[in-house]
Amino acid sequence: MQKSIPLLMIVPSLLMAMAIIGYPILDLAWTSSQEVSRFGKLTGFAGWENFAEVFGDQLFWDSLWRTGIWTFFVVVGTLAVSLPVAIILNDDFYGRGLARVIIMLPWSVSLTMTAVVWRWALNGRAGLLNATLMDIGIIDQPVEWLATASTAFVVEILVGILVSIPFTTTILLGGLSAMPQDTYEAAMVDGASGWHQFRYITLPLMKPFINIAIVLNVIYVFNSLPIIWVMTEGGPANGTDILVTYLYKLAFRFGQLGKAAAISLIMFGVLLVFTLLYVALVSRGEEDAAPEDEKEA
Amino acid sequence: MSRKLTRSLLYWLFLSPLVVVILFPFGVMFVTAIRPRDEIFTYPPTWGFSEFRWTNFSEMWVKTNFGGALMNSIYVSVLATAIALLLAIPAAYAMSRYRFAGKGLYRNFLLMTQMMSPIVLVLGLFRLMMAMGLVNDLNSLVVTYAAFNLAFTIWMLQSYFNSIPRDLEEAAWIDGASHLTSLVRIFLPLAVPAMVVAAIFTFINSWNEFVLALTLMRSSEDFTLPVQIYAQVAGRYQVEWHHVMAGTVLATVPVAIVFSWLQRYLIRGMALGAVK
Repeated sequence: MQKSIPLLMIVPSLLMAMAIIGYPILDLAWTSSQEVSRFGKLTGFAGWENFAEVFGDQLFWDSLWRTGIWTFFVVVGTLAVSLPVAIILNDDFYGRGLARVIIMLPWSVSLTMTAVVWRWALNGRAGLLNATLMDIGIIDQPVEWLATASTAFVVEILVGILVSIPFTTTILLGGLSAMPQDTYEAAMVDGASGWHQFRYITLPLMKPFINIAIVLNVIYVFNSLPIIWVMTEGGPANGTDILVTYLYKLAFRFGQLGKAAAISLIMFGVLLVFTLLYVALVSRGEEDAAPEDEKEA
Repeated sequence: MSRKLTRSLLYWLFLSPLVVVILFPFGVMFVTAIRPRDEIFTYPPTWGFSEFRWTNFSEMWVKTNFGGALMNSIYVSVLATAIALLLAIPAAYAMSRYRFAGKGLYRNFLLMTQMMSPIVLVLGLFRLMMAMGLVNDLNSLVVTYAAFNLAFTIWMLQSYFNSIPRDLEEAAWIDGASHLTSLVRIFLPLAVPAMVVAAIFTFINSWNEFVLALTLMRSSEDFTLPVQIYAQVAGRYQVEWHHVMAGTVLATVPVAIVFSWLQRYLIRGMALGAVK
């Protein structure tokens, strides 16, 4: 009886997660093996046909390629901005509280709203980005930012970076605040310059946190629909489609449920790999931390 | 002292481009929301405008059924938060206070659910809700949001529960209190701060969610705020941008204020939940 108490306490949450997150995966696996009529009805077993169709689809490969570019540049760009920002925010200076609040601000706004506001700010005729750039004299004609796929995609990547900065900075700040202060004092006594301190102390100690930030960002960015969906819906002419937007169109515009389910499963597989990577990283971090606890005890 | 001053100036100088880019959309939002309608598509585009047209807000409220969407968002977010907490509290307590078989397994399972994004499952979820007759029913969002926020809530609570000393409960048992009484009268009151923080984050996540709301809510009277605002922009020939921006201001600013006040707790929760 005593033994079953903790299990009873866990069961409700387990059932909930199983029903809402576990079951749909099974359903996707089932759907991906079915033939689907034009009206979205499953009409019979199709084997691997849906997967074959996906792999034979040029739009799938284009979207996959673009997903890679999107994920890579957003994750790398975010890290390149967040690392110096986190180091600054960890230091003591006038107005640090305000700086923290401003830099965390994009996190509180839903991606949808951010994307809607940017869509308007980038408007080719009356957008205020054009107004600003014309005021400073960088351009003298309004630019149609979202009308061509290549420009639109670059802009979307930049917005993606902007909204990922708060989360990444938070993780890095967590790492920096756990940094042992005496190491720096020792280095200072030994006459290490600021750059050397960064290169040989901060960076190696930060590595686990940087790794975790990278893996988590890869997972989130890879999965992110709202920015591209709201700003261009994957257009013009599928030119900014990534896997998630393509998947969404297949499922809810074109009724190609089998194909959409197959892509979902492929994405699920990719996510699984990254999640396992994350688990490995976290548990390695815990092993490193374990001797600390023993010392204390 | 002056060293700190030069350092501060240098830091702010370095941060200034980022600060400008972050504040830019907020500026766009306000400036568009309060300008007269016929000054929106001026050429050449300009930040300036002739007067503050505050009536844009009340006009938008009536014309776009903002109140209805607001109520839907509140309904979904409040209930999802309540359910997530109700399920997470016992689970977090068990994870924090008991050793049992399958604990590590459950931890990893939670991690998996945390990593699964709604977009990958959206087709499966849609078919599930279809089969249960819950499409166009706000309760379908309530359950899904609760489920997707469980993992984070459990972690956050568990890490806080770990910091509440066991002695307090044990002392209560010795005094003859049952486990349940000590749980309700000693433990839970101590855990209130953590529950409040976890609740607010679940609330904000639910408030901001887009993909599931877009998919599961098909008729406009069931829209939550993000979908309602998106619907005024997508696939329309003529977009009333001053209304759209007035809507984003109203939907965004209260949440941003609460969030700014809470962000330091988030740093702590992240460090405990996600990183460790």
